[in-house]
Amino acid sequence: MAVFRFISSLIIVLLAACSDLSDNVERKDVYVSTYSPIDSGVVLIKDGRVLTGSGEELERADILIKNNVFEQISDSIDVPEDARVINAEGKWITPGIIDIHSHMGVYSSPSLRSNSDGNEATSPVTPHVWAEHSVWTQDAQMPLALKGGITTFHVLPGSANLFGGRGVTLKNVWSRTVQGMKFPEAPYTLKMACGENPKRVYGSSQEPSTRMGNVAGYRSAWIKAKEYKDKGGSPRDLKLDTLKGVLDGEILIQNHCYRGEEMAVMLDIAEEFEYKVTTFHHAIEAYKVADILAENNVCAAMWADWWGFKHEAFDMVWENVAIVDQAKGGQGCAIVHSDSAVGIQRLNQEAAKAMAAGRRAGFEIPRKRAIQWITKNPAKALGILDKTGTIEKGKMADLVIWDLNPFSVYAKTEMVFVDGLIKYDHLDPNSPKATDFELGIIEPTKSRL
Amino acid sequence: MIKHLVIFILLAFNNLSAETLLLKNATIYTGESDSALQGYDILIDNGIIVSIKEEVTESADVTTNLEEKIITAGLIAPFSQMGLVEIGMIQETRDDNSDLYSAGFSITQAFNPSSTLIPYNLNGGVTSSISAPSGSGLFSGLGSSFSLSGENNSLITKDLALYASLGAGEGSKAANLLLMEDTFELARKYDPNSNELQNYSLPNSIKYSKRDLLAVKRVIDKEIPLVISADRASDILTLIRFAQEQDIELILKGASEGWMVSKQLSESDIPVILSPINNLPSSFDRLGSRLENASLLNKAGVRILISSDRWETHNAYLSRQGAGIAVAYGLPWHEALKALTLNVADIFDIPNRGSISTGNIADLVVWDSDPLEVTAFAEKVYISGKLMSTQTRSKLLKDRYLNID
Repeated sequence: MAVFRFISSLIIVLLAACSDLSDNVERKDVYVSTYSPIDSGVVLIKDGRVLTGSGEELERADILIKNNVFEQISDSIDVPEDARVINAEGKWITPGIIDIHSHMGVYSSPSLRSNSDGNEATSPVTPHVWAEHSVWTQDAQMPLALKGGITTFHVLPGSANLFGGRGVTLKNVWSRTVQGMKFPEAPYTLKMACGENPKRVYGSSQEPSTRMGNVAGYRSAWIKAKEYKDKGGSPRDLKLDTLKGVLDGEILIQNHCYRGEEMAVMLDIAEEFEYKVTTFHHAIEAYKVADILAENNVCAAMWADWWGFKHEAFDMVWENVAIVDQAKGGQGCAIVHSDSAVGIQRLNQEAAKAMAAGRRAGFEIPRKRAIQWITKNPAKALGILDKTGTIEKGKMADLVIWDLNPFSVYAKTEMVFVDGLIKYDHLDPNSPKATDFELGIIEPTKSRL
Repeated sequence: MIKHLVIFILLAFNNLSAETLLLKNATIYTGESDSALQGYDILIDNGIIVSIKEEVTESADVTTNLEEKIITAGLIAPFSQMGLVEIGMIQETRDDNSDLYSAGFSITQAFNPSSTLIPYNLNGGVTSSISAPSGSGLFSGLGSSFSLSGENNSLITKDLALYASLGAGEGSKAANLLLMEDTFELARKYDPNSNELQNYSLPNSIKYSKRDLLAVKRVIDKEIPLVISADRASDILTLIRFAQEQDIELILKGASEGWMVSKQLSESDIPVILSPINNLPSSFDRLGSRLENASLLNKAGVRILISSDRWETHNAYLSRQGAGIAVAYGLPWHEALKALTLNVADIFDIPNRGSISTGNIADLVVWDSDPLEVTAFAEKVYISGKLMSTQTRSKLLKDRYLNID
């Protein structure tokens, strides 16, 4: 009886505490990452050719990993006791590849209506939806991307809406929960979309039906968000929580935007409401405004060569990535992204195409620079550069060993490390770990391939 | 001044289409043999390759030293909507599908030799295409082959294949196959001289026009092949059986799980059009998708043709990237080149193209490096011996914005 009374009073106290916490403010202690890699121990990777991502190409270097992070990178490191030694002579090493634009988990393979979870295309303003609440952790695309060297990817809602919802940055590791994949302490992002998509999806029945309607939609929402912020985020509104997070500088804007003039307008909106655009995605016309992007410290995430699938993708130039990269004397922030579960498996090749095009246009773009388009720069644009994106002391040991120069179509990954742990080894037929979906799916006795 | 400029340009143009052209000191991958001819010369007369030798001694109107660069036959896009589409999502720029006709829908007369897509693909080394309808019905229509010369006489062969898809629409594949059988039976009996359109054996909603039945009849008469899209291993076996029963020539498109039935495909001598870059298990029909598909099919003796990812037309030339990936996963390099050139010409019966050999039309590409590499580009593209311009909208845009200051 006493125990019962104790428990019930405890419940009352807990309930009171909960209601205190949830009273009119967003809680930041839920939905958090539970990802916690086991200890990698000590790993020494010897004699590889290293593209560090921080701007160096080391012809022959050793990399020491200790307790999941890079401990030391130098010409020659003595083998520590209990170290696992990997001979990478003749191999190429890069940081783990990062895709800033993925829909893995929200547009999964197999692609079925029942798991098409990427676009809450029921209203043009849906900043309250979160991509992570759609993610199917058993999407068979994820291990394929891992084999392509992807260690971190950013999952966005689709582009039907002016505000599509929150994006999430994930580690490319098998987990039964999305929290178990969430990149620890990565900031949330907000997907916005310019141009054709919102007006096409909504135009027949409601605003917006034009690009000017799009802009009115963004501005109206920001006006509400300003008021909400001024009132301290109360009374609680899920949509405005996200927008307030942007105004507070905690949530990064990832803005789908093809056309140059629309990017310039979006920057004015950011100026009007005092927030920052972090990245323009699918920025087919970034080359037209590369100097403006560089001046405003905005990144552009681009394809190497996609074009023509819609009108706003008609003005593709093969040199787009290079022109953004070289803007203002090399001050530009260029990113190569995929938006494709095929492309994500070979972002190295997409970067290679963009690098070759840039060189043909007369730019001097060494490999050590081009590798940053798929490592350092996306890490910066996701707010995780202090943790990953380069091979530097203290960072997460996310790393890829390639059999050949990764800017070759023939290059394949041999090993992919996430936090110092080998998640893919080309000699291990059981890696990468199959998803639940793939178990017994073709033959009951084995996993997919 | 302008007059002089015009005359100068005309003279320059005349030079380019000189009657004889000598390409010296090339590294020739003929497409036919496994090894390269190092330092060979190619003599072209009136657009036709007349001589391939270590040293051509004849003089020519124009001589170009290729400095040992790689030269191959121009790529032939094996399946695309080249000349039929400008912007994918804008229906009014598309002439590649029809609700009026099914099997009888011939795309030929809509082909636009000035399509904006053609210069981009020439840049990538594609010199001809098999342009096909893209409809999603059981039958989508007839495709034709075209040169990407940009000239009004671009047509090579009209209505050279009938296109169909087993997984069309929402219905059961079994029903689609039954309808295909019924359609073939009807077409077999169909007498074009009679006024009767015998629709007796078909479901109520199905109506064929004379054109539709005549197109199917051409497949039955083995005048043209049936190109059919299918991916699942068991569906492929069903289609092999269908082709045998109907005694028709079949070409398979897709075939994600082709490697699982490669022996049967090889025994039936059914060629396969692949998009080897795409290894996603993106449907329950493609659970067995893998990057080794091309090499396993080739190993089993199946003739393969390589297309771009998702049969994409704007960048049809990216078939080269798919070919490179297939090589990384075990396909011999020269087989990959054949899959982009000679196999396409052979299988679709496009005469005198697809390889560098005497008597062939001089559709040629000079590469700065290995053409299967993503960093490679086409330095010179010849169609019928004429040096093509590699100018594109894209390059003009680039030049404009590089000099924006």
